[in-house]
Amino acid sequence: MTTRQRTTVTVNGRVHEREVEPRLTLADFLRHELHLGGTHVGCEHGVCGVCNVLIDGRVSRSCLTLAVQADGAQVTTIEGLRNRETGQLHPIQQAFIDEHGLQCGFCTPGFIMTTLELLAENANPSDDAIKDALGGNLCRCTGYENILKSVRLAARRLREAGGSGAQAHPA
Amino acid sequence: MKSAPFDYHAPQTVESAVALLQRFESEGIDSKVLAGGQSLMPMLAMRVARPQVLVDLGRIAALDYIRAENEVLAIGAMTSKRAAEDSALVRERQPLFHAATRLIGHRPIRNRGTVGGSFAHADPAAEYPAVALVQGIQMKALGPHGVRVIPAREFFVTYMTTCLEAAEVLTEVRIPVLHGGTGWSIQEFVKRHGDLALAGIVATLRKVKGVCEDVRIAAFGVNATAVRLAAAEAALQGQPATPENFARAAALGAEALEEPIADVHATPAYRRQLIRVYTGRCLIEAAARAT
Amino acid sequence: MGTDLPGLPEQLPTSSVRYVGRPVKRIEDPALVTGTAEFIDNFSLPNMAHCAILRSPHPHARIVRVDTSAAEALEGVVAVLTPEDVRRWATAHVTSPAGWGRHCVATDKVLFVGEPVAAVAATSRALAEDACELIEVEYQVLPPIGAAPAALAAGAPVLWEEHGTNVIQSRTYDWGDVDRVFAEADHVVTNSFRWNRCGANPTETFGCVCQWDLTDHSLLIHGSYQVPGFWALARSISLNLPANKVKVVGHPQGGAFGGKGGARATDIAALLSRKSWGLPVKYTEDRMEYLLAGFSQSWDRRYEAALALQADGTMTGFKVKLLDDQGATTETYGTISVAKPLAAFTGNYRIEAARYDTTLVVTNRAPTAPYRGYGPPPHFCVLENLVDMAARKLALDPAEIRRRNYIRLDQFPYTIPSGNEYDSGDYEAILEKVLALADYSALRREQAAARAQGRLVGISVVNTVEPGVFDWNAYATVGVQGVGVPEGARVSVDILGNITIVVGFNLQGQGQFTVAAQVAADYFGVEMSSIKVTSAPTDSAPPHFGQGGSRLGVAITGAVLGACRKLEADCKRVVAHLMGGLPVDAIELMDGRFRIKANPSVGMTLAEAAGTMLGRSDLLPPGMEPNPTATSVWTAPNRNVPDEQGRCRSYLTAASATHVVMVEVDRESGRTEILRYFIVDDCGTRLNPATVEGQLQGAVAQGVGAALLEEYVYDDGANPLVTTFADYLVPSIHEVPISQRDFTVTPSPVTPLGAKGCGEGAMHTTPAAIICAINDALAPLGVEITETPATPLRVWTALARAGAAG
Repeated sequence: MTTRQRTTVTVNGRVHEREVEPRLTLADFLRHELHLGGTHVGCEHGVCGVCNVLIDGRVSRSCLTLAVQADGAQVTTIEGLRNRETGQLHPIQQAFIDEHGLQCGFCTPGFIMTTLELLAENANPSDDAIKDALGGNLCRCTGYENILKSVRLAARRLREAGGSGAQAHPA
Repeated sequence: MKSAPFDYHAPQTVESAVALLQRFESEGIDSKVLAGGQSLMPMLAMRVARPQVLVDLGRIAALDYIRAENEVLAIGAMTSKRAAEDSALVRERQPLFHAATRLIGHRPIRNRGTVGGSFAHADPAAEYPAVALVQGIQMKALGPHGVRVIPAREFFVTYMTTCLEAAEVLTEVRIPVLHGGTGWSIQEFVKRHGDLALAGIVATLRKVKGVCEDVRIAAFGVNATAVRLAAAEAALQGQPATPENFARAAALGAEALEEPIADVHATPAYRRQLIRVYTGRCLIEAAARAT
Repeated sequence: MGTDLPGLPEQLPTSSVRYVGRPVKRIEDPALVTGTAEFIDNFSLPNMAHCAILRSPHPHARIVRVDTSAAEALEGVVAVLTPEDVRRWATAHVTSPAGWGRHCVATDKVLFVGEPVAAVAATSRALAEDACELIEVEYQVLPPIGAAPAALAAGAPVLWEEHGTNVIQSRTYDWGDVDRVFAEADHVVTNSFRWNRCGANPTETFGCVCQWDLTDHSLLIHGSYQVPGFWALARSISLNLPANKVKVVGHPQGGAFGGKGGARATDIAALLSRKSWGLPVKYTEDRMEYLLAGFSQSWDRRYEAALALQADGTMTGFKVKLLDDQGATTETYGTISVAKPLAAFTGNYRIEAARYDTTLVVTNRAPTAPYRGYGPPPHFCVLENLVDMAARKLALDPAEIRRRNYIRLDQFPYTIPSGNEYDSGDYEAILEKVLALADYSALRREQAAARAQGRLVGISVVNTVEPGVFDWNAYATVGVQGVGVPEGARVSVDILGNITIVVGFNLQGQGQFTVAAQVAADYFGVEMSSIKVTSAPTDSAPPHFGQGGSRLGVAITGAVLGACRKLEADCKRVVAHLMGGLPVDAIELMDGRFRIKANPSVGMTLAEAAGTMLGRSDLLPPGMEPNPTATSVWTAPNRNVPDEQGRCRSYLTAASATHVVMVEVDRESGRTEILRYFIVDDCGTRLNPATVEGQLQGAVAQGVGAALLEEYVYDDGANPLVTTFADYLVPSIHEVPISQRDFTVTPSPVTPLGAKGCGEGAMHTTPAAIICAINDALAPLGVEITETPATPLRVWTALARAGAAG
């Protein structure tokens, strides 16, 4: 038997302390320890991007991260985006709806988290910059066209709103 | 696809990491160093790697830096590839290394993957080892017997294997600054953007009155490690920088290549073809950049 | 049944259609963008255990001994499923044709790498996998059959002793006087073609949670099931349970593109639940399991084909000989891929005679499964390539040879030689539109200029018929019984007038809940946002099938309309009675009001009518139930039983599309770059144009993958070499061209609102369009590609062989 380890992870502003098996991935920790099921699992070997979350503001594959590696980190998941009190969707989420940037929706949280990092760093990304950022997220339904449109729309709306919205809503 | 069980340690200093690795080695415990995890984690998930213990270097802040030391860029082994990508220092002083970094996977992989990790992992299709051979990058490691500095040509031994010993930790990568006037190029062939290269070339050269000097060419993705294409280099050294000479050197380099890897994506003959083609293309690009 | 439903949106009881035909936002989306949608892996039951499956590493071996004792002893293991358990508690899966299905776990020998041999339920998946490693299995390795030709070779090992042959079925269909047509032809073009395995790969793999009730002999199943009712029935058969004691709760799926729902995996999880005295057991298929042995691999085909033509380019005959490698069993419905091409065998053309010579064999590769298109995508790749070969031979432009052969507008409904009836179509209009959209002559000039520079640029003009709204009879030729696929909807109105629609399927991404809401909202003149659409489990759902065969948009529209019509009739009775005992036909529904025809300003809304029904029984006509609810089950009209050559009216609708694609092939590496992509499609009434467009572009992406990137490679010993996403290359945003699109609308005369099935869409056409474009690029060199995917390696190898590589 391996020794369980304590890990303290702040997720969407809320601190969670757990004792876990070292081999537990951050993806499984979020989904099954914290019951935050919005981060999905698609391949478990780092190719599809469906499990993308932000770790200390950086988009990362949660299937390639151990929960114990996230000890002390700030993690942002899809659940952290909409306004906790009003339920109002984050502009990126709304843009995906408005531009039909999803069909089955399984890859969508991963795309939205990747977009969150992109727009936080680049408020007016070119199509090439968008594709560069999204190249590691696979979608099997949409053929990517409407995802591109969704990101463009989100960028435009965030710029018009003053650019400060490219953050998750605070806890 | 859940890993086999392992114990986990996250030392705060590189010395304590070495001490841990040394202890495990002496106790016959199979241990593995965890850096960014972007290469190791899939192997754990597939249970093709099954260490009994992981030693995570991620808490060792002292290994996260990018420094200019005269004509060398010293990058701490645990510096993220993303930091190298974002670094003005790297972009300006080592555009070749910077370009190689940009070719690695996708943004999330580079956010967590470390500079040192690619060197220590020694994947035959990795870009950094080829850049290392061409630029004379040195690897600094700390082990039970102290520090040693290892030149690239000794560091990469074979498929996924370096000369690092069980209790040695790669601490720093020392990259000579690209000299002014040196032309450089790195190009690779992938079927899908961001994948590991089926074949790739790194080339640098200087032009003196239109003649190629100090020609260095390395191939990656085709043999057990990255390799210098000595035959191509010799064919071009001292020759005018013309398309014909580039093509001739490329053909000789591809022909002299040790039998390339065969897999579902490429036959040896096809890899040889790609090396010939990309050597030619890289030489053209490097020559255009040379001043 | 279907015939008196509105045949076009204009026929809905509204003066201005607000939702149908508009690109309205989807009601499914808020739950998806917030991550709250309950995909199966987000679902738990108390005390749930987790399942891991031990799988065979050998393609063909006898199982000598299975020792699970060490696994059972591991702390945290709740139950271990052995072959004995399975023999005792379960039966072999029903298949079409019958007799080629096995138990969920191999009981005597294994027939493919990845076949389940045992399974463990434990307190965590990780622990269950640890336990699987402790199970000892002794195998006696047997010689494998690595590919279809080996299955037919003399002296080949027989994989299924009970059948004594590796041939599942061998049948030749003759439609029209094929021999005469070919004998009289001025030209015959022939070719061989190899289509290698590719497959669905939705981003979500399969998952289920099963709970067996030992007292009640009932089974509760939650999971990602495309066709919940069908699956419940199939599980009751394989698990020896009464059919009405198996309850399936279908969860929204993260894509399917074929047939989502693990038959063996469900049985395994259910039996583990049984063995653990009724604990719920969850199984989540991981990606490697999916690639190895899920519903993941399709279309392993060797074709020889021929096209007969007259001197002026008129196509008179089409012959196809197909050797189809089904893999080790037919449990996963791969045989249907061979049957479906009958629905559109001769494509858009007036070809009068055809022959289909089919041989389906078993090998030790993984069993093949449905994938979007379900057979026609490779078939059309063969046909369209032959058409282009003919064009080149006759020095005709590929657009022109097609135009000359199209079924004409006035010939519909048109019965093709293989028996299906196309409902409507205007192929010339599509062609004109796409050639204009692409500025075709400019493209050809561009190509000429590029060729002058030595570049390998190719252009294709490719069209297909995309059959929609399948019926069982389409698959009779591989042993599927029955005629008539049902789809039911229960529409109810509450006392405040809010509409709820209950259906039997769940979401996969095509947006059928939104379509249902659009239709009901326009029918009753209510806000779409006030409508709730929900999925019922199989024990309370109306008869249904769910997604499949590009049917559900049309079928659910029919079901909702049928239910609305019944509700309308009941409401009219109420209103007529309330208006002083008027005859029912004095009342009409228009713009959300039940009004007196002779005095339209007098009327009641749906809310008022329903509110009266539920709140004032004293006001109702005598004998009327207080029940503003109606169920309607739609099925395609006018279906029939196939004749001895498989001919029948099967797929109800015939959508069509023409793609114009421009590619460039790099001589030095063999890489194909798609430079331009144009589509004009016609799927009749576009119920929600945004979702239709999404299906198109999505199918283009999958078609690009099939044509250029995706392949399950096996060695000669049937060992899979492509087992992870590092080697199975699903296209990213960088590999998929954004298509430029336009459309025409030729409504279906036989469907509700005139819509045609469109979900499989571009998958029928894109692979053919890309391969034909590549062959157009390589034609001047005398090089052709006749194998998919046209990877850089394959193309370069073909060029190098011809001395034409860079």
